[in-house]
Amino acid sequence: MDWRIRRLGQSVFTVWAVMTLTFVLTRFMPGNPIDYFLVEVGPDLDDPAQAYEMAELYMNINPEDPLYIEYYDYMTAFMQGDLGRSMSMNMPVEEVLAIAIPWTLFVMSWAVFLGFTAGIAIGAVMAYWEGGKFDTALTGYATIITSIPFYVLALVLLTIFAYRLNWFPTGGRQPEGVEPGFNFLYLTGIVHHAMLPVFSMFVTSGMAALTMRGNSIRVLGSDYLRVARLRGLSDPTIAIHYVARNAILPMYTGLMIAIGSMFGGAVVLEEIFVYRGMGWYLIEAVRARDYPLMMGAFTVITIAVVIALLIADLTYGKIDPRAGGENREAF
Amino acid sequence: MKRSEDTNQFDGRTSDGLDSGGDLETKPDSVEDILRSDGGTVDSPFERTATVEETRRDRIDRKLKDYLWTPWSIMRNDWRAIVGVSILVVYLLIGTVGVYLIDPTHPTHGESLVGPFEDWSHPLGTDQSGQDILSMTVYSTVPILQMMGAGALFTIVLGTGFGLVSGYKGGMVDTVLSSITDVFINIPGLPLVIVLSVLLEPEHPALVGVLLAAAAWAGLARAIRSQVLTLRGEAFVEASRAMDVPTISLLRKEILPHLMPYIVVNLVNAARRIIFAAVALYFLGILPYSDANWGVMLESAYRAGAVYRPDAIHWLLVPMIAISGISIGLVLLGQSLDRVFNPRARARHERSDDGKGSEPESEPNTTNVTQM
Amino acid sequence: MTISESDASLVDSTGTDTIVELRDTSVSFGMDRGESRVLNEVNIDIERNEILGVIGESGSGKSMFASALLDAVPAPGTTTGDVIYHPEDGDPVDVTGLSKSELKQFRWEEISMVFQGAMSSFNPVRSVRTHFVETLSAHDYDVDAGIERAKDLLEDLYLEPERMLESYPHELSGGMKQRVLIALSLVLEPEMLVMDEPTAALDLLMQQSIISLLNEIQEKHDLTIVFITHDLPLVADLSDRLAVLYAFEFAEIGPADEILERPAHPYTRALLNATPNLSAPLEQMRPIEGESPDPVNIPPGCSYHPRCPLADEQCKSIDPGPYDAGDSRNHDVYCHHWEQSIDDLERAFTESNSDDSPATRNASHSDDAEPLVSLEDVEVQFGSENDGWLDFGESDVVTAVDGISFDIYENDVVVLVGESGCGKTTLGKTAVGLQRPTDGTIEYKDRDIWKGSSGSSTLEDEEIRRALQIVHQDPGSSLNSHQRVRSILSTPLNRWHPDLDGNDRRERILAMLEYVGISPPEDYIERYPHQLSGGEKQRVALIRAMLVNPDLILADEAVSALDVSLRVSIMDLMIELQDAFDTSFLSVSHDLSNARYLAEKTGGRIGVMYLGELVEIGSAEQIIQNPQHPYTQALRWATPELEQDDDPDENPIRTIDVPDQKNMPSGCRYHTRCPDARETCRTQKPELVDLSNEDGVQRTACFRVDDDHEYWDSEPITDDAVDGDEDDDHVNVSG
Ligand code: SF4
Ligand code: SF4
Repeated sequence: MDWRIRRLGQSVFTVWAVMTLTFVLTRFMPGNPIDYFLVEVGPDLDDPAQAYEMAELYMNINPEDPLYIEYYDYMTAFMQGDLGRSMSMNMPVEEVLAIAIPWTLFVMSWAVFLGFTAGIAIGAVMAYWEGGKFDTALTGYATIITSIPFYVLALVLLTIFAYRLNWFPTGGRQPEGVEPGFNFLYLTGIVHHAMLPVFSMFVTSGMAALTMRGNSIRVLGSDYLRVARLRGLSDPTIAIHYVARNAILPMYTGLMIAIGSMFGGAVVLEEIFVYRGMGWYLIEAVRARDYPLMMGAFTVITIAVVIALLIADLTYGKIDPRAGGENREAF
Repeated sequence: MKRSEDTNQFDGRTSDGLDSGGDLETKPDSVEDILRSDGGTVDSPFERTATVEETRRDRIDRKLKDYLWTPWSIMRNDWRAIVGVSILVVYLLIGTVGVYLIDPTHPTHGESLVGPFEDWSHPLGTDQSGQDILSMTVYSTVPILQMMGAGALFTIVLGTGFGLVSGYKGGMVDTVLSSITDVFINIPGLPLVIVLSVLLEPEHPALVGVLLAAAAWAGLARAIRSQVLTLRGEAFVEASRAMDVPTISLLRKEILPHLMPYIVVNLVNAARRIIFAAVALYFLGILPYSDANWGVMLESAYRAGAVYRPDAIHWLLVPMIAISGISIGLVLLGQSLDRVFNPRARARHERSDDGKGSEPESEPNTTNVTQM
Repeated sequence: MTISESDASLVDSTGTDTIVELRDTSVSFGMDRGESRVLNEVNIDIERNEILGVIGESGSGKSMFASALLDAVPAPGTTTGDVIYHPEDGDPVDVTGLSKSELKQFRWEEISMVFQGAMSSFNPVRSVRTHFVETLSAHDYDVDAGIERAKDLLEDLYLEPERMLESYPHELSGGMKQRVLIALSLVLEPEMLVMDEPTAALDLLMQQSIISLLNEIQEKHDLTIVFITHDLPLVADLSDRLAVLYAFEFAEIGPADEILERPAHPYTRALLNATPNLSAPLEQMRPIEGESPDPVNIPPGCSYHPRCPLADEQCKSIDPGPYDAGDSRNHDVYCHHWEQSIDDLERAFTESNSDDSPATRNASHSDDAEPLVSLEDVEVQFGSENDGWLDFGESDVVTAVDGISFDIYENDVVVLVGESGCGKTTLGKTAVGLQRPTDGTIEYKDRDIWKGSSGSSTLEDEEIRRALQIVHQDPGSSLNSHQRVRSILSTPLNRWHPDLDGNDRRERILAMLEYVGISPPEDYIERYPHQLSGGEKQRVALIRAMLVNPDLILADEAVSALDVSLRVSIMDLMIELQDAFDTSFLSVSHDLSNARYLAEKTGGRIGVMYLGELVEIGSAEQIIQNPQHPYTQALRWATPELEQDDDPDENPIRTIDVPDQKNMPSGCRYHTRCPDARETCRTQKPELVDLSNEDGVQRTACFRVDDDHEYWDSEPITDDAVDGDEDDDHVNVSG
């Protein structure tokens, strides 16, 4: 069967596994939300039985049902896009998150894109002048920038550029007092607000640069490059179609993993910059003990990552003719 | 890592002319020669037993040389290793000796928000409630190191275990284990840890470390698995299988040494990521805490508005520097470590005084696995 | 001294048309232990439209010679001296003095090159067509016309042009890539083609097919070809002239027939004696003593003197200039005592085809002898058991071994030969219990070896496990690069001689090392594998297997990766060990000459495999001298000989490429390539027929051995050499 279908199956399986995991967490982990309703909220209510209804309302789990019914209800509700009801905002979780998702995607995709582009460019330059001053200096840069946690960089940027220099807003995701819509002021305002969070993710460029450097040096020593030179191909052809392309391809896997960790990073960044994306809601939910929202945000972030990885895997087949899924050969 | 069939099988002399081929071409002595030279007491080299005793001392010496002197002499020549190790040793000293030298602090220990280097009873200044920042930083080192150690170790053990078993066993075991790995690769680490810690509320630093590792092992497992897949097809593994070497010692002696550079580099990277994540979680105020640590300091400084209050900026800066410093140490150490396990580097350094010491520098880098 | 030292090579001999001349050309690399000269002041004239074979072992500087011709020595190496190119019309150009853009034009348009690593000569992410197009446009050639030319070239090389052009490199088999690379190097119509080990990684049949194609292409395109190889027999037939490289200098240059019949340089004579082949008497094959020099300190005077039996004081101090040894055209030899060399040093092949049959040993087994290991209808399939619950992978089952039965006796030697992917290695591993057969049984002394074991990789019975061992092909990976020789050799002792303590183990290891000629053993025991030469690694691997004290050793291409001059010595060692320790060998080889050496010297058998089936098995003499199966005959044809053949035989196979293993041909599997195939062969499967007679045992699976078979009445299958359909596919299952 086509490896693409297999890959799709894998993603579906992952989503199912994550949902089951959240079910198990919600239901059985020590300190789980259902117990919270039954033990902490329940006794304070006039009618303790109401706690069951609340659990049903907020979490889509009725603890009075047999386990398999609970699981079935939970999964079907999820399948219908029902993630429960946020306790602190008093609206359906999916509605809260639907507003937040685009913002997180917006910031994160730019961060990934810029980080990798910069890393690739820097790495290529380093490889070209391998061993030279430039290389040494940039290796130093890359080493240091990877050593700094992105949130530390975020705090530094916030202090300098937002509070000291006032170049950027100190928080928020859109300009105040401007009509949302496709107008110039609003759009530039959005970009302006996203600037610092995006640049905080620049730390990824360090790793990317070091990887790119290593890959390029390897390609530069390969047989096909030597043959290409002998064949008299022009330098730009060699640089772009031979070195760059073959050096970047193996980084695609790294990119995929980076996407995953960036969505994790979004949680901290959005908190620092008071940027109301999924991460921010996740933290808010944690603070307010709003379990439905917390679980919902976690699920949605995971699904976003799963989809991103799926897209990356599938598009990889387009750019590398050798791709054919992973080879799980058996002996 | 895929080893393609591109490697020229029948004639691996890609750098013909540079390698000094050829072979010591002495005709093997015949069996008779052995007989004669041994005065007829021994009839085959298979039967021979020892005539000279190697003492326990010799053996200890050899082990010392293998495990201490050679790595040391390799690392000695690499500034990254020296700097990295020095930094880490400083942190270790702070975490062990430092806590005995510096008194613990408490609120209203000093004035509120003394600046750094102003008052030598508080060299790094104090925070808003008058706690000594130096003391807090020093005392934070202990839980951070515990977290880092526990988390990194757990990541490595879990990742290597999963990878080794699923790669070497193959078949159904592999399918199950790699499906689990795939799921965990897809779950973004930090949110998972947040959810888990909200539910579990871990207090002990080591426990926090283990919890954080839950999000980090899967990538390692996948990488190890694919390397084991290649390795188990290698000739020397097959030869060991033919010799009926038990699976455990086969994995330990034949396969693990090849993964060591990769594992050690990952150990160091995992340690770094654990610290990052732990501090982030404390910063977000998600993990429960009783003692101060860098993350808690960051959080309280941030809450107190240190980002816009010039008089409080040191409160924010000190933990930042502490985190970045240990991270730089780990990164440098990681960059220099893989050479220690490279047999070419080892051989070069241990016999650098005799003629065979000058091996060409054309070592294939086994650890060149792209990792971000 | 009466010998006149002529300046033969320096005079541009009249009448010949030189295309490239090298004058005092050197290539050197600065290394931390001194300057390393990897080509040392060589002089040679390459004539227009000739095929020059350059022979050198690894570390002789042959690749540098190739690179120097194009001034393409990889940095930081430097080329000094002159490389002068004479265009057909126009003034000579000094290649080393060309500017960057001139060089760009010169390369590929005048001289182009085929590297030894065809596998890695293509950009993996670009299609074959793109490779052609970018080459053409980089040199401002008309792309459409160029592509047409490329198609013609591909067609001449028995490839389907359209399919090749649309493919990506990874979709092609090794043989295809190599041929596409040849087409790519000829697309700009160069005058000269330099080929550096172009066939080294290929199977015999593919090698020989490419060699014969080269002959045609050379004539068709008026090419000059420089063919560089370590394999003397391979070029013996093809070349007009031969040049022998030793220690970064030429030892001898001359017309091919003269070099082969009347070699003058002691090294050439030794090399010819050391080369396993099919016709020379075995007792005359012997290894060359000593080892080639290190490029950093080449011995003064004649660089061969440490190994030369004729060396005297003069040799040690004075560089031998070229002496004219030829009666005919210039035959230059770089040896002071070449006449003595011709007179005194034996050469094995002076009278070829001497009727030698006295096998050194006769391990003949009467039929009632008890087999040691007996294979019964063994079948091995790959790729089916892979369907886990998440794995919706396509189940392409490849049958690597299909119903093979044969016996191995005590003290026996059986050599399996065949192309890669024929299943010979799989069969070998199955025989020693490293691969579980999907069907059939393997018995060791009448006990089923897989009885009681559940997994696919471990035998239950310890005694059987111990009795069956393996020595691998590639000395590079047969030893664990992270362990010292000491621990590598301790492993079997720890497992099988737990009574020994550390000192005893060490002593035994030292004794074994010494026994196989590795000295001083105290030094070697502490080394890592990368500090051993190829031959030494192979010896350590042999000892490791021997220390287990096995009854049967699978030697998987044990000598293929070694230099020609080492092969004989390792095979001799194997034979000696076999004698000393009473073991049997099951050897796997793709090279009929090696197989012959091993089998004939021990009185063993050769088994020929094709696509998972045993098509012929018999004593070495029978298989070599009297092959009955058309496939064995093809292999015999493909094995290069040390003689110049005046009329090269027709290629005895109809298609060059092996059929797709997922889509096995029906009937006789060889019918898609067999020159004698008839309609019957398409539908019926021949069985092994016993043809043994007093000359030796022999069993063959072909209808032709049966005079009454309906085969003789059916229609011959005819098709043209290029077989357009699925037959051309090739799957490279490592075999
Ligand atoms: S010159 Fe002397 S040492 Fe060299 S090959 Fe001739 S006889 Fe031997
Ligand atoms: S059976 Fe037919 S096709 Fe097969 S080898 Fe014999 S003649 Fe050729």
